[in-house]
Amino acid sequence: MTGPHGVGIGWRPEIAGFVADLPRLRFVEVVAETVAPAGPLPAGLAELRGRGITVVPHGVKLSLGGAEPVDPARLAHLAGVAARVDAPLVSEHIAFVRAGGLEAGHLLPLPRSREAVAAVVANVRRAQAELPVPIALEPIAALFDWPDDELDEAAFLTEILDATGALLLLDVANVHANARNRGADPLALLDRLPLDRVAYVHVAGGADQGGFYHDTHTDPVPAEVLDLVGELCARHRPPALLLERDGHYPPAAELRGELDALAAAAGFPVVT
Amino acid sequence: MTVLAAPGDTWGIPGPVFLRWYLVAVAAVLVGTLVHRFRTLAGTSADGVGQLGPQQVAYLNGGDQLAVWTALGGLRRGGVVGVRPDRRLTTGASMPAGVTPLDQAIYNAAGKHVHARELRRDEWVVRALEQLRDGLQERGLALAPARRAAARRGPILLAALLVLGGIRLFVGLSNGRPAGFLMLTLVPVFVAVVLLSRVPWRTRAADRALRELRRRHTYLAPASAPAYATYGPSDAAMGVALFGTATLWTMDPGFAEQAEIQRQAISGSSSGGGSSCSGGSTSSCGGGSSCGGGGGCGGGGGCGG
Repeated sequence: MTGPHGVGIGWRPEIAGFVADLPRLRFVEVVAETVAPAGPLPAGLAELRGRGITVVPHGVKLSLGGAEPVDPARLAHLAGVAARVDAPLVSEHIAFVRAGGLEAGHLLPLPRSREAVAAVVANVRRAQAELPVPIALEPIAALFDWPDDELDEAAFLTEILDATGALLLLDVANVHANARNRGADPLALLDRLPLDRVAYVHVAGGADQGGFYHDTHTDPVPAEVLDLVGELCARHRPPALLLERDGHYPPAAELRGELDALAAAAGFPVVT
Repeated sequence: MTVLAAPGDTWGIPGPVFLRWYLVAVAAVLVGTLVHRFRTLAGTSADGVGQLGPQQVAYLNGGDQLAVWTALGGLRRGGVVGVRPDRRLTTGASMPAGVTPLDQAIYNAAGKHVHARELRRDEWVVRALEQLRDGLQERGLALAPARRAAARRGPILLAALLVLGGIRLFVGLSNGRPAGFLMLTLVPVFVAVVLLSRVPWRTRAADRALRELRRRHTYLAPASAPAYATYGPSDAAMGVALFGTATLWTMDPGFAEQAEIQRQAISGSSSGGGSSCSGGSTSSCGGGSSCGGGGGCGGGGGCGG
């Protein structure tokens, strides 16, 4: 199977009928924790696989950034789902979701320290040993930085990618959010990231609230994020872009408009 | 072998002779009924289930009442009808083009501010439902009342045989005659009468069509938590048609509650629907209050459940 290509959308049961109706869709992403590696796939997903559409499992609970080794059961699940949907790759976040047995229920940012790099690298290598396909790592949006950061975002990511050979899943909305909330220049980060390592790109909507930009995934994609997609593609066009929407689903026409806008920004063929 | 009538034989017929002829008669009626039923219920293989609209699907799945809820759901999703604080329906936006006669009739009734539960008895709605039903009967998906009546002739004959056997059993037992074999025979006859007198109102072709449609529209099942804002009025209507008014309640709980729409979920495939959900014009819900909220016919989980 080929890797993700063109414009895709995050498959969710709530909008499965909408996704199934996209005539030229080539790839979707599915939250890995919602699929059982054994037994039947969700009906809509099975149909997409039948049409030869690439399905990329996206993990959210592996906790690669945890100080402790990744949970072998969760890792086996992710590997099982990858095999089940015949995925070309899987993706996970550079974050931790649990520590000392406590579940945060959220993706929490790591301090950008050498120690954190070592912990992530060790976990990614464990994952790579078990996974049947390559893994792409996604940095997360965070409203704060840890006080003891030794590295900046670009150096932190580059060190992890270099040490593991993993691919990058770049979230343009996160880049926008992080830069915006810190008063930094998002283009400066783009210029320093290893863009040739990008497997695909996440694009999502967000909203301004209380002086901060929140990466909500439940709002429309703002123009600034689309502009950033254009800037990214001008530097090095990634193989694929994926629209993430996780709730407050708009009318079909609006959602199709967002997919078309993504295609236009990147110069990909429209999927609607 | 000859068995001579003895003075004690019931009706002057020896038990074994009666039993033999009784069994022959039961078998003949049973075979005839089954063959007739098999043929009657086959229906015409649906020529592309994709061409069935939500209201047709609803009628096949749950009869008149579900067809009404389905049309109402589509109109509501389109913002065409609403409900007033006094729980009576009202109209909102103007009707879009390409609506069905049932849509038009319900829109008209909503303009007269009827209660949602009264829609089924509205004159225009009744006529539109008849039209819907006729179309489905012509396509071999629903059974015309005449054909349903014909399918009941066999079980009626069988019931007559059951009564005959029952009387002989009673008389025989009263006279102290052995009647064990007759008693044993009557049990399966009774079961057959009960099972066969339930004549579905849709054909097997319709069953297949509904199964296929449910498979194609899994994304509209309440378990998928469908994003109704993303799906249009016709998908919303199909959700009601296939999965019941639970769809209306999920999509627009405020409206469903205010309009007093009975909540009902229809799951999975079915055995072909019982006669309790008659979609025919002989429906018991002519004007009785028993079906006001969709209680008796079509509104219950008994249909296609």
